[in-house]
Amino acid sequence: MPLLSPQDRQTLTQHLAPITKSVDLLLFTQTFGGTESGLVAKQVLDEVASLHEKISVVEKNFVLDTEDKAKYGVDKAPAVVVLGDGQDTRIRMYGANTGYEFVSLVEAVLLAGTGNLELEPESVAALAAVDKPMRIQVFSTPT
Amino acid sequence: MAYANPHITADAVDAQEFMELTRRYRVTGVPKTVINDSIEILGGLPEADFIAAALQPEGDAS
Repeated sequence: MPLLSPQDRQTLTQHLAPITKSVDLLLFTQTFGGTESGLVAKQVLDEVASLHEKISVVEKNFVLDTEDKAKYGVDKAPAVVVLGDGQDTRIRMYGANTGYEFVSLVEAVLLAGTGNLELEPESVAALAAVDKPMRIQVFSTPT
Repeated sequence: MAYANPHITADAVDAQEFMELTRRYRVTGVPKTVINDSIEILGGLPEADFIAAALQPEGDAS
């Protein structure tokens, strides 16, 4: 059964229409010892990918794909790494991406696919001064 | 923010899925933002305030 209603699909299709760059969603899951949220994450991503021809889902194995895990710094699963035109956006989503997290996922896809930052120019200027690694973790709940 | 600077990585973490992290970072309300394990921002803030809090010198966080 689809997670998105026909009306949701229509709204999201319009929202994602400005996408011009390819967006790859790398989904890291684990078959054994993994949680059901990996399956939910897969369904969520597949439904989002079906909304625009430029969006693709690439499945990775959290246990076996150690090279990609290290490359993208993925340390838990399920995880989604968002690539825009093959370049790492450094945006990661950990969990099933439902509820409020779904909004973050859609906005990350839109950013990767358009390159349009929504930040104010003052914010961009302030962030340009960051010259060492900064890891931002935002904790939220699906509901 | 991550898209704006190659030094920045942004993780959206489901607090219910990853309980160990939720305990480690003492997440008692959401959204809670943790930066480099040292700066904590509870709740949502206006963009300018959020960035000012995120860029404060580490160790000054309340």
